[in-house]
Amino acid sequence: MATARAKSVRTGYLFVLPALLLLLAVLGFPALFSLTLSFRPESGGGFSLEHYRLLLEDTLFHQAFWNTGLLVGLSVAAHLGVGLAVALALNLPLRGQPALRLVALLPWVVPDVVTGIIWKWLYNPLNGALNDILLRLGLLAAPLDWLGGRYLPLISVILANVWRGFPFVMIILLAGLQAIPRERYEAASIDGANALQRFRYITLPGLRKMLIVSLALDTVWEVRRFGLIQAMTQGGPGSLTEVLSTLVYKQYFAFFRFEYASAMAVVMAGVLLLVSLPYIRMISREE
Amino acid sequence: MQRRHSLWPMVLTMICVTVLIAAMSAGAQERVTLRFSDWHLTEDVWNKSLTEGMAIFEKRYPNIKVQVEPVSYREKETKYTVESAAGRAPDVMHLHAFSLPSFYEKGYAMDLTSFIEKEGKGFLDAWYPLPLELVKHRGRVHAMPGDYMTMVLVCNTDLLKQAGTDVERFPTTWGGFLDFAKKATTPGQQWGLGMVGAKDPGFSLRFSPFLWTFGGDYLTADLKRSALDTPEAREAFAYFVELSTKHKVVPPGATSANPQDVRTQLAHKKIACEIGSGWTAPIVNKLNPDLKAFDVLRAYPLPVKKKRATAIWLSSWIISPNTKHPQEAWELVKFISSKEMELKWFQDNRVTSARKDVSGVAPEILNDKFAKVIAAELPYGKVEPQIKEWPEIMDAFTGAVQEALTEAKPPDKALADAHARINTILARRR
Amino acid sequence: MGSWPFRVLVYGFLLMLAIYVLFPFAWMLSTAAKTESEALAIPPTWIPKEPTLDSVIGIWVRKNFALYFFNSTVISLATAILSVFFGSLAGYGFSRFQLPGKRVLIGFFLATQMLPGVLLVGPYFKVLTATGLYDTRTGLVIAFLTICLPFATWTMKGFIDGVPLEMDEAALVDGCDRLGVFFRIILPVLGPGMVASVLFAFLLAWGDLLWALCLTTSEEMMTVTLGIARTVGEFRIIWPMLMAGSLLGGLPAILLYLFLQRFLVTGLTAGALKE
Repeated sequence: MATARAKSVRTGYLFVLPALLLLLAVLGFPALFSLTLSFRPESGGGFSLEHYRLLLEDTLFHQAFWNTGLLVGLSVAAHLGVGLAVALALNLPLRGQPALRLVALLPWVVPDVVTGIIWKWLYNPLNGALNDILLRLGLLAAPLDWLGGRYLPLISVILANVWRGFPFVMIILLAGLQAIPRERYEAASIDGANALQRFRYITLPGLRKMLIVSLALDTVWEVRRFGLIQAMTQGGPGSLTEVLSTLVYKQYFAFFRFEYASAMAVVMAGVLLLVSLPYIRMISREE
Repeated sequence: MQRRHSLWPMVLTMICVTVLIAAMSAGAQERVTLRFSDWHLTEDVWNKSLTEGMAIFEKRYPNIKVQVEPVSYREKETKYTVESAAGRAPDVMHLHAFSLPSFYEKGYAMDLTSFIEKEGKGFLDAWYPLPLELVKHRGRVHAMPGDYMTMVLVCNTDLLKQAGTDVERFPTTWGGFLDFAKKATTPGQQWGLGMVGAKDPGFSLRFSPFLWTFGGDYLTADLKRSALDTPEAREAFAYFVELSTKHKVVPPGATSANPQDVRTQLAHKKIACEIGSGWTAPIVNKLNPDLKAFDVLRAYPLPVKKKRATAIWLSSWIISPNTKHPQEAWELVKFISSKEMELKWFQDNRVTSARKDVSGVAPEILNDKFAKVIAAELPYGKVEPQIKEWPEIMDAFTGAVQEALTEAKPPDKALADAHARINTILARRR
Repeated sequence: MGSWPFRVLVYGFLLMLAIYVLFPFAWMLSTAAKTESEALAIPPTWIPKEPTLDSVIGIWVRKNFALYFFNSTVISLATAILSVFFGSLAGYGFSRFQLPGKRVLIGFFLATQMLPGVLLVGPYFKVLTATGLYDTRTGLVIAFLTICLPFATWTMKGFIDGVPLEMDEAALVDGCDRLGVFFRIILPVLGPGMVASVLFAFLLAWGDLLWALCLTTSEEMMTVTLGIARTVGEFRIIWPMLMAGSLLGGLPAILLYLFLQRFLVTGLTAGALKE
């Protein structure tokens, strides 16, 4: 028995090994490089915690940190909400279902950066399409400055981000819905369960794994996302929409502070890891 | 298993093709190939002009082949940084003045002093002194200056007349300008001035003249501290912000407006004036040919509060220190910044040159309605501090302007916060 | 399906969603058919006054989009196929075996995604130059794999978890080895999960800008998204071309989805298992 178990463990590792080796081989050096860079003083060699100390005092970093939490939290919640609702609706035997599924996927094919550029234009107060249509429909009295104002840019950015981001969650959940055996629904119907009960006791538990997966992946992905915000607001107005990914980019490519940007990214990765620990635990738990 | 099989031939073919191409190009290399990268290559008119220029160069230097590498305007610093850090940058790159200090500091620009010395005494006399200052790093020349322009007011004379302003006697003070802007504004329809308030390289070019003409400055003369706490700076800042918040003489959306948005407003008669330069009229003309931009638009020196001043636009060429052909790269840089070529760049693209023997004497420039105003302002031109912390300082400052424009903070508070933040940034320098 | 109020609710929701989703596309379509100057008219026009295909033709003639499409397609397909294949293998390993240190490994797969690409691109550049893969499609595929593989692994693991163990066991009893189980029993029912992973990988590789920008340099290796980004210039954005490029650039992914959608239905319902 013991040898059979060992053999099975070995087989298991063999399945995982190709992916693992590839990741280690390609990511190993870059990741280590970034990590060590964060401990290097800006000039000269040696070891220094200076960048991490500066992070503690950097108010812009703090602001970006909380902004990231807020924007990612709201975006992921909206992705999941909209994605789940659409997946459920498009799992129903509707007329025109294939076409509707295609429509729901469309925003995903627009590259991240391009989404930002296009939405920024849609929001333009003078020649943007959104204001134009709202003015024509009489829903607005005067052009609205969607990317200006004290808080509105947050909502505008999220609106664009949800547009681009929900199809990913939707397709994962749609796949998850497929994996719930029909027989369960049929059995429940026979037992007299109503639609709400079927959702509560069959759909949700059946989707649990995929919900966790999409939550974890979407969170990580949203924290990394930078093209969209960069193209739309560059973190402005002020630092209202400054997030860690745009700040790291700026520190690296605009301010040329490679070491400081690395330290920022390492902290960001660390926090992200902490946040995702529960998901890792949930996804790796045996049923 | 099928999936795997179908893939390997593709991967193998890809590898083979790559190797083949690499081998072929290596075999064909009789003459020296220079990699030349310029954001202008992505733009039709400039691309044509540069391609013609390169053809002339290759004819004169048959041993050199120029391989052009277009890169988009937004992405150039990113690409050059990554490539330079790995020692694989293009041999010759085109940069803005404001990127130069960072590239100097990181060692991404070759010291050109020895080449210049070999060209003989007086080689640099052809250029204006200010751009020559900007291409120097620790006293050594690290770049060759290219386009050199001053920012001026570009106004729609039709709208000026509508507002009852004599086009020959445009206001020369900011107070007069505000009166004019109010008259030129019809709420919701038309505004006196277009304002760039986005985090964009074009912002500081269009804001700095306010600060400087009010007698203020960003930093103290020794570049060690922020000078934004002076009354002059506060006054300039408040004037700028209140154009939008209080007087509402600029269109909505200033905090996300980049220069192109503002030019679009000018092209469609939404604004009477904008701050621009030599490039403005041709672009506006393209945006809306019906406007007849070359007839209707007119350039004016910027209004003044305390002293005459304006901002300078400069671009320049650098050679990467990782080049394997420094001599050939120098020949190319010398060629593209030569009198002959600089005149060609003006004729094709309306950019004035950093060369005195072009911008100061060429009849094409002196007779041009826009270029002559721009060239006349060159003596009053000023540049932002050339320190490597500048991009970070400007980012903090633009943020403060945006906070004041969106009324997230009162102007004085926004400026005071920026002042403190800039001092923190500068403290790292000491 | 359900009572009429429920139906009204569902269709109402889908209608609102369709408006939200399609509104920007309507604008893109309209802009793509305009001249450059009309695209920026204030106020904007919805029906082009002088409709033109100039931008659509322009990206093929004045820009080399045929080549960019070829590059992007090869890169994205290779990334998608490789990452889903290895990701499924790893997902199966994680799902079906009691591996010591599994939690750490699963965590590691996710953790590889936490450093921003901005930071990694510099070192990647060095790795690819050192191995001669700089400015090659293979190099880009390898770089994208490091993002797509962990995503595929997580998605496939979550999905395989939903496939009843009994299916493996029945096959093992029938004398299949593990690899046989994976290919013959598991892979065929993974359709929906694969669609999700393939689309993710394909679109990620297709839409990336930063890595394609930094890890390639020659015109021969340009991707569609890089080509689209080039319509954003110093002085202007060529809107009709940008829109035409974005719309056409989306077509391969749409074709891929149309091809894949038949797999969005799992084989699991076909009575393959009896609980």
